[in-house]
Amino acid sequence: MRTVECELRREAEDLYRGHHGWLQGWLRRKLGDAMEAADIAQDVFIRVLTRQQPVRAHEPRAYLSTIARGLVIDHWRRRALERAWLDTLAVLPEAEAPSPESRALVLEALIEIDRMLDSLKPQVRTAFLWAQLEGLSCPQIASRLGVSLATAERYIARALRHCYALRFES
Amino acid sequence: MSDGLSAAAGERLPDDIVDAAIAWSVRLDYNAATPAAKQAFARWLDADPRHAQAWSRVAALRSDFSGLPARLAQEVLQAAEAGRRGAAAGRRRALRVLSLSGAALASGWAVREATPWQRLLADASTAVGEQRTLRLADGSVVMLNTDSAISSDFSGERRVLVLHRGEIMITTGDDAGAAAKRPFWVSTPFGALRALGTRFIVRLERSEVRVSVQEGAVEAHPADGGASVVIHSGERSTLGPAGTSPPVVADVDDDAWTDGVITGRDMRLADLLDELSRYRSGRIVCDPQIADWRVSGVFHVRDTDRALRFLTQVQPVTVRYRTRYWVIVEADRAG
Repeated sequence: MRTVECELRREAEDLYRGHHGWLQGWLRRKLGDAMEAADIAQDVFIRVLTRQQPVRAHEPRAYLSTIARGLVIDHWRRRALERAWLDTLAVLPEAEAPSPESRALVLEALIEIDRMLDSLKPQVRTAFLWAQLEGLSCPQIASRLGVSLATAERYIARALRHCYALRFES
Repeated sequence: MSDGLSAAAGERLPDDIVDAAIAWSVRLDYNAATPAAKQAFARWLDADPRHAQAWSRVAALRSDFSGLPARLAQEVLQAAEAGRRGAAAGRRRALRVLSLSGAALASGWAVREATPWQRLLADASTAVGEQRTLRLADGSVVMLNTDSAISSDFSGERRVLVLHRGEIMITTGDDAGAAAKRPFWVSTPFGALRALGTRFIVRLERSEVRVSVQEGAVEAHPADGGASVVIHSGERSTLGPAGTSPPVVADVDDDAWTDGVITGRDMRLADLLDELSRYRSGRIVCDPQIADWRVSGVFHVRDTDRALRFLTQVQPVTVRYRTRYWVIVEADRAG
């Protein structure tokens, strides 16, 4: 175990020394923002450091950019959500808005849900959100979407299965 | 059930058990469950400890969403999604504009009165899409919705507000300046309303006036001399040529416009579009084929283009702008 730890540490240091500058440049070109690029590069190496097994990557830059790409997508997702969040809060009636103390928590929950529902088809996603947030039943969803009851039920089942896999099987 | 979960939280369950638990959840949680279904479910749950475990996991998924502010969450998540799909959707829409059908255009077309002469007589008015809040001499507060006009006469023994056009929300003041608190009346072509309490909405339509009481009560006196009716807090009623309708429990959303939104719950699409068109110059035409579709959501009246955009995100519809003043909403053919 100690040798594995040593190897991990050494590998991360090598990756950092050899490619950190390149990775930052790559991210800066993608994001157009040096500070964000630096933050995400940092996160990439945190991922590298917290692995259980050494990767012994033959193409270290391809390996690093794969991790970075995932983080960039997360970053954009978060940004899109934060923008939608601010837009919506600005026009929402006071009574509907969460208290200032709980805002950060609600936003985090929404980012998490958004990520969880990411790969679902739009109609499935919409049906599931209606069911979970508005408490709509399958017949109501079916009539709102103009689909059969069986289709609405399939949408909900598919979304539940997807969330289940992420929560309990990954 | 919770014991099962904590005992083996990380254990992977067979797919068929997970699928069965989800099928039960769809049947029981997302449909009206029959007693027979509930009994069958109880038997399934008892048949195998892993069933209970799968069930509690599926239940946990539901709790991810509990306690979130539903409207906010809904809109933020849909808007973020739409933003991501925006570029592709824009291209699809551009293509569909080319397949223009004339049939939908002719139907439902009616020219709205374009010369609101009533405004000239009024003390205060709003343009289409505008909202305004006024404080009156007696301390009352009047909020004017889009395209509305009022005048007031507070000189006599009663306070009278005349609604010439549109929709207002009144919060009556305590008339502190007068020796004794004077009665507060709203006068409309279809009858007069006497405020018995604090907050209510009056909406003047072509053929009737609608009253919705948020706080206190309102006594409605129809213009034809029929019997007066008391409308209580939480109720709404209509005064028209056919008399006064008995008060019924109001939609909680009658006053949503005062917050700058329309909140639809299973609202007919055509009705929603009619509502939205009050807030913009020109016409929103709804394809009759989709007029009866049901929509829910929060739609911003201060930015109706945005509201229409939101509609395309939550419904399979396309919005076409023939001009800034002529908007057509029809089914999204590409699905």
